[in-house]
Amino acid sequence: MPVSSDSLSPRLREWRVNAPRDPQFRARVRERIAARSAVATWPEFARRHAVALGLVVVVAVAGGAAGGRGWAKSRDAALSARLAEEYIGGLDARLVARR
Amino acid sequence: MRNILITVALVVAVCAAAFGTGFVLGGDRALHEAERDGDALAWLRAEFRLSDAEFTAIRRLHEDFSVECGRHCAAIIAARERRAPAGEVAELERTCVDAMKVHFRRVAALMPPAQGERYLALVLPRVEGHPHHGAPNLRVGP
Repeated sequence: MPVSSDSLSPRLREWRVNAPRDPQFRARVRERIAARSAVATWPEFARRHAVALGLVVVVAVAGGAAGGRGWAKSRDAALSARLAEEYIGGLDARLVARR
Repeated sequence: MRNILITVALVVAVCAAAFGTGFVLGGDRALHEAERDGDALAWLRAEFRLSDAEFTAIRRLHEDFSVECGRHCAAIIAARERRAPAGEVAELERTCVDAMKVHFRRVAALMPPAQGERYLALVLPRVEGHPHHGAPNLRVGP
């Protein structure tokens, strides 16, 4: 039913909200604020950032393994070059003569 | 902040563990055993992935060559001791180098073709420019 603007003001003045009071309202608000501000444990933190953490771990494993393998290969290359010199030295009669 | 620090520490630990694993598994164990044992032929076998048959044939070739190498050695020593002309010593050393090159080509021929080429590319340049202060055998290291 349409209400005229003349009749709205008196109606609003008479309007009373009779919502039941919640005696636990303040306590619950305080609890929620406390829960938000509390420091999460690491497992909670990890669960919350599971995707990012997973990506970082994958990159760390791949990068670490590649770095370790690369270092091993470069060390092997240096060792192999040294052994090659020794191998040739072991076959070179001129070396015997200079000892 | 505390959680971020824990996360960074864990990621660093994981990265270090992966690095260590990559380093241990990525290295050539046979090469390091050759170094530990001071065995140049073991290096040859590891470096050029020789089969048992190839390695046996190459070892025999090396043993034969060591006799020839000993003869060259004795000739060079004798020439030096009697203070032979520099040209004569140089000629003996040239003979030694030529014999080594022939020997290396024989060794390469016993390897798979690709490995033989790699072997020659490795050893031939070193024959001419060798520093000449190693041991006269197929042992390496001290």
